[in-house]
Amino acid sequence: MALLRAELLKQRSTRTGLGLFAAMLGLVLLAVLLHGFGLPAEDLGSTHVQLMVLGRGEFLGVLFAALLGAMSITAEIRHGTIRSTFLVTPRRGRVVAAKVGTSVLIGTGFGLVAGAVAAAAGIAALRARGIDVQLDQRDYVLLVVGSAGAAALWAAIGVGLGSLVRNQVPTLIGICAWLLFVEGLLAGDVAGGLGDVGRLLPGAAAAAVSGQDPGTLLAPWVGLVVLGSYAAAAALAGALAISRRDVG
Amino acid sequence: MSERVGERGIPISPRDGAPDSVVTVASLTKRYGELVAVDDLTFSLQAGTITGFLGPNGAGKTTTLRLLLGLAEPTSGEALVFGRRYRELDRPSRRVGAVLESSDFHPGRSGRDHLRALALAAEIPWDRVEEVLALVEIEAAAAERRVKTYSLGMRQRLGLAGALLGDPELLVLDEPANGLDPAGVHWLRRFLRRFAEQGRTVLVSSHMLAEAAQTVDHVVIIDRGRRVTSGRLDEITERGRSLEDVFLQLTGGAS
Repeated sequence: MALLRAELLKQRSTRTGLGLFAAMLGLVLLAVLLHGFGLPAEDLGSTHVQLMVLGRGEFLGVLFAALLGAMSITAEIRHGTIRSTFLVTPRRGRVVAAKVGTSVLIGTGFGLVAGAVAAAAGIAALRARGIDVQLDQRDYVLLVVGSAGAAALWAAIGVGLGSLVRNQVPTLIGICAWLLFVEGLLAGDVAGGLGDVGRLLPGAAAAAVSGQDPGTLLAPWVGLVVLGSYAAAAALAGALAISRRDVG
Repeated sequence: MSERVGERGIPISPRDGAPDSVVTVASLTKRYGELVAVDDLTFSLQAGTITGFLGPNGAGKTTTLRLLLGLAEPTSGEALVFGRRYRELDRPSRRVGAVLESSDFHPGRSGRDHLRALALAAEIPWDRVEEVLALVEIEAAAAERRVKTYSLGMRQRLGLAGALLGDPELLVLDEPANGLDPAGVHWLRRFLRRFAEQGRTVLVSSHMLAEAAQTVDHVVIIDRGRRVTSGRLDEITERGRSLEDVFLQLTGGAS
């Protein structure tokens, strides 16, 4: 509990979190409004495309929660505060656990806001163009709550990856590259080789949690279990790795 | 056989050379591949002393301090504080305070928040943060500012404030005088002497011999990871030899 409070203060006392939040919010609005006003009206009429557009909230919530989680550890390594952190708390697994807890909490907030803002902006754009909104209450709940859950779990993945890689820039580039590019290549363009396995990748599982693309993705609760397994594995691997390695 | 018990009821392991050793380094070795950074190093520190840990650049001083503080694992041998490995100490910041680098701060965080986060993790009340800020003479307005606005001397003092949060019995400082102006060096020397006069112990690494000679009462000199001499400063520098003479002769730096 004391460590959680310490980690929360670390998050509150720099502008990093606020900067990430503002960037996320701006990109959510940009993505949803560009799609909402840019796509042809006949495409936007389908449930599938509407879920895809409003699902930009989940994607960006996940991305920025993962970056925040990763930075909670890599920024300490970069600036050297990890030394005093580990001097006060030599049981390093506890430090990683507190960072996971804090990042999950903030990541939940990121996902909630991203999901809700994307849904609100998306509906506003559709209505403004006179397009019927095909989504029901279950879709909205999944888009917002699912986005919060997906971002929370990706924040934990970020802490784990940051603890494994340690160097800040490669960690952040790796997360961006995976979510924006690599997973799409693996799951989509090279789908012949992977087939259904693509649904089990962590980015696709996060999209599934928020109820997008039910035809090709996992069911939301299955996605939650899959993503939760990734989060647990990453956090555990990160805690073990950072406990065994020397601090420079 | 009854177990010997030290100060604060901490049991003293029978293998310790001296019963009141605050620091016990025994056959400590650290290899990085082919490089032997610390080579079979042995020394111990008694309570109430200020020990200068001296050696040329790259002699293994910083590595030894990191091994002592549980930030790195020895290849063999051991480094104990109060008879235990640092990572096994209960509430270590209440017994040991350390400053390893002068720049270990997030530049965008205020000095006060830096200390408050450490205090929260160590379960030390925030009143103590104000006490240590006063102790190192950082004013309230400066404590509010982000560390990126601090001079090197202020960063050194903020680091020291962090080390003092738990009111420790042992202070470990790596090159604390680097970047301090003459007034800062003078301040630090007086501070360390007062600290040791209270029966507490200081281990301070340095390669600034003239400054060290004025501050410390014991020395451990190492070169290429090995101890070349150790003992009381007045014994090592007897017969009119300066610490610099002794150091240069032992570390092969004499011309």
